[in-house]
Amino acid sequence: MDKKFVSILIALVVILAIIVLGVYLIDPNLEFPLDRATVPLRFLFVVIGLAIAFAVYLATKENKAWEVGTREVVWMAIGAALYAVFSWLFNGTVFVVPSISQVSLRPAIAIPMFFGYAFGPVVGFFTGAVGNMFGDALTGFGLSPQWSIGNGLVGFISGLPLLFKDKKKSLDTVLIVSGVLTVIGVVVYFVNRSLPNMLFYDVEAGIFGDAPISLIAGISLLIGFVLVVLARFFFGKDIDVATAVTWGALGNILGIGFAAISDIWINGFSPAAAIVGEFLPAAGPNLIFAAILVPLLVVAYGSYRKQSGR
Amino acid sequence: MLVAWRYRKRKSFIQSFDPRAWIIFYICYLASTLFFWDARFLLPLMAIAVFVLLTSGVKWHEMRRAFLFIVGFVFFFAFFTFLTGRGGLEVYAQEHLVRRFEAPFSLLGWRPVLNITVERAFFAVSQLMRVFSLAVMTILIPYSLNPAHYGITFRGLGLPDKIAYAMDLTMRFIPTFGRDFQLTRDAQRARGYELEKISGGLIEQVRKLGPLMVPVTIHAISGSEDIIDAMDLRAFGVGPRTWLEQLTYRRRDYILIAAGVLLLVVSLGLSLLGYGTFWVPEVLIRAVGG
Repeated sequence: MDKKFVSILIALVVILAIIVLGVYLIDPNLEFPLDRATVPLRFLFVVIGLAIAFAVYLATKENKAWEVGTREVVWMAIGAALYAVFSWLFNGTVFVVPSISQVSLRPAIAIPMFFGYAFGPVVGFFTGAVGNMFGDALTGFGLSPQWSIGNGLVGFISGLPLLFKDKKKSLDTVLIVSGVLTVIGVVVYFVNRSLPNMLFYDVEAGIFGDAPISLIAGISLLIGFVLVVLARFFFGKDIDVATAVTWGALGNILGIGFAAISDIWINGFSPAAAIVGEFLPAAGPNLIFAAILVPLLVVAYGSYRKQSGR
Repeated sequence: MLVAWRYRKRKSFIQSFDPRAWIIFYICYLASTLFFWDARFLLPLMAIAVFVLLTSGVKWHEMRRAFLFIVGFVFFFAFFTFLTGRGGLEVYAQEHLVRRFEAPFSLLGWRPVLNITVERAFFAVSQLMRVFSLAVMTILIPYSLNPAHYGITFRGLGLPDKIAYAMDLTMRFIPTFGRDFQLTRDAQRARGYELEKISGGLIEQVRKLGPLMVPVTIHAISGSEDIIDAMDLRAFGVGPRTWLEQLTYRRRDYILIAAGVLLLVVSLGLSLLGYGTFWVPEVLIRAVGG
């Protein structure tokens, strides 16, 4: 190991130690800090998210997937702009997307997954993080940088299969890890069924993020996961689609999970409330999109590449 | 073809500063606003936003659409808070009832009840001020930042060349893709794609979004080849980048940055000392006989 690498590693460990200490010192009791200084905490989680991505990079920095050339720069910009535009258009105020039983549809999430898969982890991360930032700015908000980083991690993890020479080998492990996390999420839901779905608003029915979470929203993660497994085996021969879907699913679970879990400290939710109220209603429907829209994009991109010879 | 934001050269307060200085000030302002729920502290912050808006020189007809959208959104949000007290409930311990409305009907044994309390109403007002200030400061940026300066601005803020350029391109692509989306939607409608009647089960509904998302995405990727070629021809990323435009800080820019940092430090200090938490005027509570 060269000197530079060691020094970066030490710096990273020190930063992480400070962060861990900081989290305990700032908020040991998990009180509701809505009107207290949550700004440093938000940025703390931004740093943690970046540190995670950076650690993965350091561990595999010899790999070609990390190279950023002209193409990557342009793809990053396209991905981020598309994600921003789609999440703005589909946020329910401009272009009404139907929702079923508290599952609000957020199809834009397919963009960071697809860009991560097609163009690598760096492009994926930029697409998710910057796209979410600009998307929030378009609606006039920019208050939750930890969600930007969470979205960035979705794209980042979706891009990790490029690190492997043999894409097929990792698939089953990824699927099992996602499955275990899904089961944990659903079990938490069945233990805490009465918690509110904090992401669900319906003005006409008088529901403002305080209605108990519906069964469909609660098990949407499971539905999504089943769809992912189906897509994985339905497209079993088409390794591209299978890889994109399974890694996208894992990225979604970990990335959204990161953002929801950071809200335990930032907004003072209890761990169960963060998982049932935020993680499940956000990550569940996202998985459904991963299973349906990502294959459409991957297949379309494949035929575009064949046609144009690139 | 690229579509641009509605930037024009204007003689205005916001455009008299270096864009880097303005972005730094904006970030400090954003963070400072987040510390407060107290209307007394939010008022000066809102005054800054209103001052910047009024001196921005952006004509009403230029920003009408964006502005109406955001104002609508802000009121919508404050109204939520007002109706439910959600978000506020944790901040105040007791509520003083002004009036209680009960619906004359009940839905499945649940009777809608609306309690108007001083705390809820005032919390909604505070939230309105908070979100309004943030939104105004945010929408003014595309109107006042010269597209030719995007890249050098982000570079000047310390981002690496490539990331700065990617941010530059992102800001340029957003309005273009918005237009592309509308074109695609119209084209699909002309072919009989019924957006208004997206029906069927969950999976079917999701699948029907494909004809909107896939063409826009693939078109964007195929269009990127031109830009990549143009950049490669100019040897992008070979050496350290030089930028066509140069930005220089002048004295007023340093003053603005200092003001922004001061604002942030003062806000942080006040908030650590326990100021700025949600506050309701005593007068209002006494007025309802609390």
